[in-house]
Amino acid sequence: MIFGMWDGALFHIGPIPVDHLIVTEWAIIALIGVIAFLATRDMQMVPRGLQNAFEMAVTWSYDFFTSLMEKEHVAKRWAPLLTCFFLFILISNYSGLIPGAGHISGFQPPTSNWNVTMTLALITFFSVHIAGISEHGGGYFGHFISPSPLMLPLNLIEQVTQPLSLTVRLFGNIFGEEMVIAFMLFMVPFFIPMALMGLSVLLGAIQAVVFTILSASYIAAATSDAI
Amino acid sequence: MKRNKGFYLSILLLTSIMVLGFAAFCMAAGTTVVGEPAGATPRFANWYVVGWTAVNFFVLLALLYKFGYGPIDAMLEQRTTTIESNLKHAEEVKVEIDQMRIETQNNLADSRKEAQEIVARATKAAEDAKNEILAKAQEDSANLKSKATAEIAAATEQAKIELKDTAASLAIFAAEQVLGRAINEDDHKKMVQEFVNEAGDLLC
Repeated sequence: MIFGMWDGALFHIGPIPVDHLIVTEWAIIALIGVIAFLATRDMQMVPRGLQNAFEMAVTWSYDFFTSLMEKEHVAKRWAPLLTCFFLFILISNYSGLIPGAGHISGFQPPTSNWNVTMTLALITFFSVHIAGISEHGGGYFGHFISPSPLMLPLNLIEQVTQPLSLTVRLFGNIFGEEMVIAFMLFMVPFFIPMALMGLSVLLGAIQAVVFTILSASYIAAATSDAI
Repeated sequence: MKRNKGFYLSILLLTSIMVLGFAAFCMAAGTTVVGEPAGATPRFANWYVVGWTAVNFFVLLALLYKFGYGPIDAMLEQRTTTIESNLKHAEEVKVEIDQMRIETQNNLADSRKEAQEIVARATKAAEDAKNEILAKAQEDSANLKSKATAEIAAATEQAKIELKDTAASLAIFAAEQVLGRAINEDDHKKMVQEFVNEAGDLLC
């Protein structure tokens, strides 16, 4: 464990090891799932309470991604995935601010591990190409040699740098934030880290938004008519 | 009471922060409560974590779709359909109401026209009845008048005759008294006739 970050299995399911952060991911999934279930278990024609909030969030996400992607059908198709990115990353980031994070067994902020951020970036990577192929068919691959075949190496490098930048940005920010808070708690345990934790609330939201918007913009670029 | 509750909550919060801060301090100092020994470097490309995260993410996506986007999309669609249906129904009702209003206005106009006709007919009938009654009254009146005139005339004539007779008798009686003698039939008649004529002229 380094500054409250485990890098080993908590337990095994058969031969498969389960890390601490995987358990935290399960808790996050359960939290979002339960809230979503409670919000939509008794749908009413006139929405109230949690249902109203969820409906507002869903319609807002459609509007937001439509304005970002300029194609409504693409935005509606990919909005659930992008919203899932946002919620998962946001709650993962904030889980690091809950007292006990990194110190209670099975409780480690997932986005402070680069394997998790890499997975999310890889999902974005594949989603971008699936979106591009579903929108343009085989013609999608033409953009790799656009505007000239000489651009092929650069375009290929871009395909690598996109998920790499997503991975490193999110991991670096959250891991760095966790490290700084842990270090501050080590140096000055009382009150001073609270300011940093307050900053972390903002940083966690910003990183979730940045990851989501970048993913959306990659998908928008892949589905754009300019290709 | 609220003040006490807030006070106790503040104490609880501060205590929690102090305990957790102390725990963090202990963790960072190496006195781990749980977990593995400190100092391990996070491994890159831990494919178990990658696999689990991918599975977890797609489970979350499925849950979000099942309990979030799916029902809400369906509800939004249902609401859109309901609103469209209601708007269409409202439009139909509006058209129907407009049509009914036009029909009502037409009926009202017809009713007014009919009422005017009825009034006109009634007025005309009343006028006719009045005229008829007047004519009949005038006719009756004329008849009565002519009858009365005739009766008056007849009565006058009868009265004249009776008066003549009475006057003759009176004259004879008076003459007898004056003359003290009887007169013959011819004189009698002659005198009476003259008297009657003079008296009749005077009377009439």
